[in-house]
Amino acid sequence: MIGLDTVEIAPRINGRETVLEVPVRMTLAEMLRDRLGLYGVKVSCEMQVCGVCTVLVDGQPVSSCTFLAADTDGRRVLTVEGLAEGDRLHPIQQAFVDRFALQCGFCTPGFIMMTKHLLERSPLPDREEIVEHFDGNLCRCTGYAPIIEAVQDAAGRLGRRGS
Amino acid sequence: MGVLPAFRLHRPTTLAQALELVNDDRMPYAGGTELLLAMKEGLLRPTHLVDLKGIGSLRDVRESGSGVSIGALVTHTQAADHPIVVDRLAGLAAVLNRVGNPRVRATGTLAGNLCFAEPRSDVAAALIALGGEVEIASAEGRRAMAVEDFVIGPYTTALEQGELVTGILVPVQPDLRFAYLKHQTTERPTLGVAAAANSHCSLVVGAVGFAPQVFRSPSPSDLDPSAIADRVEVVPDLTGSEEYKRHLVEVYVRRAVAALGGRR
Ligand SMILES: Cc1cc2nc3c(=O)[nH]c(=O)nc-3n(C[C@H](O)[C@H](O)[C@H](O)COP(=O)(O)OP(=O)(O)OC[C@H]3O[C@@H](n4cnc5c(N)ncnc54)[C@H](O)[C@@H]3O)c2cc1C
Ligand code: FES
Ligand code: FES
Repeated sequence: MIGLDTVEIAPRINGRETVLEVPVRMTLAEMLRDRLGLYGVKVSCEMQVCGVCTVLVDGQPVSSCTFLAADTDGRRVLTVEGLAEGDRLHPIQQAFVDRFALQCGFCTPGFIMMTKHLLERSPLPDREEIVEHFDGNLCRCTGYAPIIEAVQDAAGRLGRRGS
Repeated sequence: MGVLPAFRLHRPTTLAQALELVNDDRMPYAGGTELLLAMKEGLLRPTHLVDLKGIGSLRDVRESGSGVSIGALVTHTQAADHPIVVDRLAGLAAVLNRVGNPRVRATGTLAGNLCFAEPRSDVAAALIALGGEVEIASAEGRRAMAVEDFVIGPYTTALEQGELVTGILVPVQPDLRFAYLKHQTTERPTLGVAAAANSHCSLVVGAVGFAPQVFRSPSPSDLDPSAIADRVEVVPDLTGSEEYKRHLVEVYVRRAVAALGGRR
């Protein structure tokens, strides 16, 4: 009963099958940034509070700052880098740009990934639902109002695209 | 980035294997939403983690006798979305939908919440009011105990060395009225008041003290909000002074009584 020190994992990251050997103590944020160069994943509070490290694992939002890379074996991981198609921004990204929903941009990948999750669960959220969904995401620049508008705008774009 | 202190990981796939592994130094690990944070902060330094997530038998939500059994690996989101919980325990589903933030809910489990016994828990207060029980297993056998007796104090439970929580059993009482009201300005609640009533009434004041505090009465109207506010244990912190928190308790208990149809 010595236990594992490293594990081999095979997550599907932004649509690509990936095989990695990682120390069991490695967080998902460390793996995505330091091993794979996915710097859209930010790290700040490391306490599940600020949301800048948000990525989706099997469609569910997680704080990659305090989530073991080892736990992504066989699962789908989506980061902000996985949204655009070539040079064409994802409708959520475009809505954030068009609505000036970012200033310094540090919180933006987290808000965008949370938005992706919200709109999959609830394609036309009202204001209250959006605000509640962002309980764990902090932005120190925008005052949130343009972010909420961007989510509503993105919901409209995705709705039109879907129909 | 802070790094996690080194540890070794165990991945049992059955409860029996897990029970053989766990001890004071080989800590159970579920969602990690408390454990990994405490390890990063250096508050906990287990040298081994026993990942329970490979144990399929702990993932179920099912009807069990006159209640609903929620497996130890079920996350807040999974429980809140589960048709049995939505149908039979709508009040609990509503509480779970407002725990922390969507990432904590997607990863954290109800069992992990109870086992960590962080005083600012919505889950403990709500489950105590609903008469919930914790199902416990060890190599010697199984036992069950009321959530009320399980959560003893801050970061302290009645779980003994070598034991694991396998699930939570919540009785379903069709005539039960239930209300949960909370006041929250940071990531954890400042106050949570859970109240449940049918032929008798239980009211639980959570988050303001070191542990959930239970008040019982024949009916909601017999509860005296100002007497409860005077009596509860209150811990002042950055979210409020003792005086402020006592005031909150009185207001929220009054609202909870009103929500159950009591007079006051
Ligand atoms: C930012 C933030 C906000 C939060 N807000 C709220 C809130 O508003 N309301 C609220 O009620 N809670 C809140 N929480 C707490 C949250 O509910 C818990 O973190 C979560 O449910 C714990 O579950 P876990 O599976 O992640 O536990 P882990 O972190 O994996 O484990 C926690 C502890 O329980 C032990 N353990 C886990 N499972 C078992 C088992 N089956 N048997 C024995 N021991 C076990 C572990 O050894 C560890 O000591 C918040 C947490 C965070 C980080
Ligand atoms: S860095 Fe992960 S939630 Fe703040
Ligand atoms: S744009 Fe700067 S923190 Fe949000």
